[in-house]
Amino acid sequence: MQPEPAQSPDVELLHAVARGDEAALARLYDGYRVILFGLLVRILNSREEAEDILQDVFIQVWRRAKDFDEKRGRPFTWLVTLARSRAIDRLRLLGARQRLAASAEQNRPDEASDALLDTIKVAQKEIVKSALAQLPEEQRDTLMLAYFEGLTQSEIASRLGAPLGTVKTRMRSGMIKLRAVLGAQLENFG
Amino acid sequence: MTPEDCEVYKELLAASALTALDAEDVRALDAHLATCAGCLSEMREWEESAAFLALQATPLEPPPQLRVRILAGVRAEDRRAKLSNGRAGVVAEPRVDGIDSKVLPFARPPANIWTSLGSAGAIAATLILAALIISLVVLWQQNRTTQRELARLTAQMQQAKAQLDHQRAVVQLLTSPDAQMAKLAGTDVAPAAQAMLAYDKSGHAMLMAKGLPAAPEGKGYQLWYIMGGKPMPGKMLTTDAVGNAILEDKIPAAALTGAIFAITLEPKGGMPSPTGAIYLRSAA
Repeated sequence: MQPEPAQSPDVELLHAVARGDEAALARLYDGYRVILFGLLVRILNSREEAEDILQDVFIQVWRRAKDFDEKRGRPFTWLVTLARSRAIDRLRLLGARQRLAASAEQNRPDEASDALLDTIKVAQKEIVKSALAQLPEEQRDTLMLAYFEGLTQSEIASRLGAPLGTVKTRMRSGMIKLRAVLGAQLENFG
Repeated sequence: MTPEDCEVYKELLAASALTALDAEDVRALDAHLATCAGCLSEMREWEESAAFLALQATPLEPPPQLRVRILAGVRAEDRRAKLSNGRAGVVAEPRVDGIDSKVLPFARPPANIWTSLGSAGAIAATLILAALIISLVVLWQQNRTTQRELARLTAQMQQAKAQLDHQRAVVQLLTSPDAQMAKLAGTDVAPAAQAMLAYDKSGHAMLMAKGLPAAPEGKGYQLWYIMGGKPMPGKMLTTDAVGNAILEDKIPAAALTGAIFAITLEPKGGMPSPTGAIYLRSAA
């Protein structure tokens, strides 16, 4: 028997949310709350701000689930991109004070917190960690400053005291290597 | 659009997925993406990769009240939407045929003030009683909601603790140099199901499945290692409430190279050879 291509359970949940299914929204929240809350606290360096944004994100999911199109990307990407974009907007509103505090408070790895994730997410997290570990430090730093602090290439150049061209090259090379490693390993996870 | 034109913009895609482009580059790239489906599709691939960086942040548990607040928020939105639809309904209600709108209604007879006062007292008492009953019901419901939430969180915590050991085993397996992975796709009977089997050369294997339908009473899922068309039995899986399952097993030495992995529905306790439908299987 030839297997059918599987539709991810999260895609079905988002379709159900689009039809106004509140229980589906609750399940989606249960599945993503620890990843998204961790991401928001890392960006905003404040649990209160992160709670506020997480609430806003899921109200947006409720309103905009009908805009989700699985042909354009995974539910994971859609939710993470929505949450990050709201957090970076808030970070820009809060200004430099919070941003500097956030960069001083580097995210410490905490193995116990992995118990909050489902096993597939733990496996994905390990793959991302090992992919990043394979990058030269200056490329990794450039990606982290852009992703978690919302800095543009010019801002990164001025933060690091490096020429803009160098920052652009580091960022592109880092992303190319990251995509190569992730693409090979994460494809299996659907 | 010539490929040479696209090359300039492709240089910007990775940084755009990190929203790290400066304003001038953003404008130029947006204008290009509006007209170039190829670059737009590549942009989405970059966004998929960038999103995985979120997993670098330490996962954190938000406070339980947040879930309650979010669900209350969407319920309030629903109520507002229904109310505004309801009002629209009243306005749009058609007049009953044959009744002329110019006909005056009967005037009400003047009310006796003492009777009114008496009935006002009775109404007030009734309202107070009703308010008390409503408050009691609300308090009782809140208490029940809190208890349910507490029970749910306790169960969640226990589940998380139990998962930790499995996850450590998976991580150990995945980070070992000879780790291999096989993807199992849902068949016609369970198109939403999917699973990953990670194993090393000693045969130590971890299966992670999700989206399996609840097994009927007296039945369960069993893993099989199929070598040259001959199935060798693996262990039974236990699914949780949402159809996820984790299983640690040992692949028979004879099935370490080139086996097909499959999951079937079998009587509880397992079978020596498969009898039920295949729910998940790996590619040949």
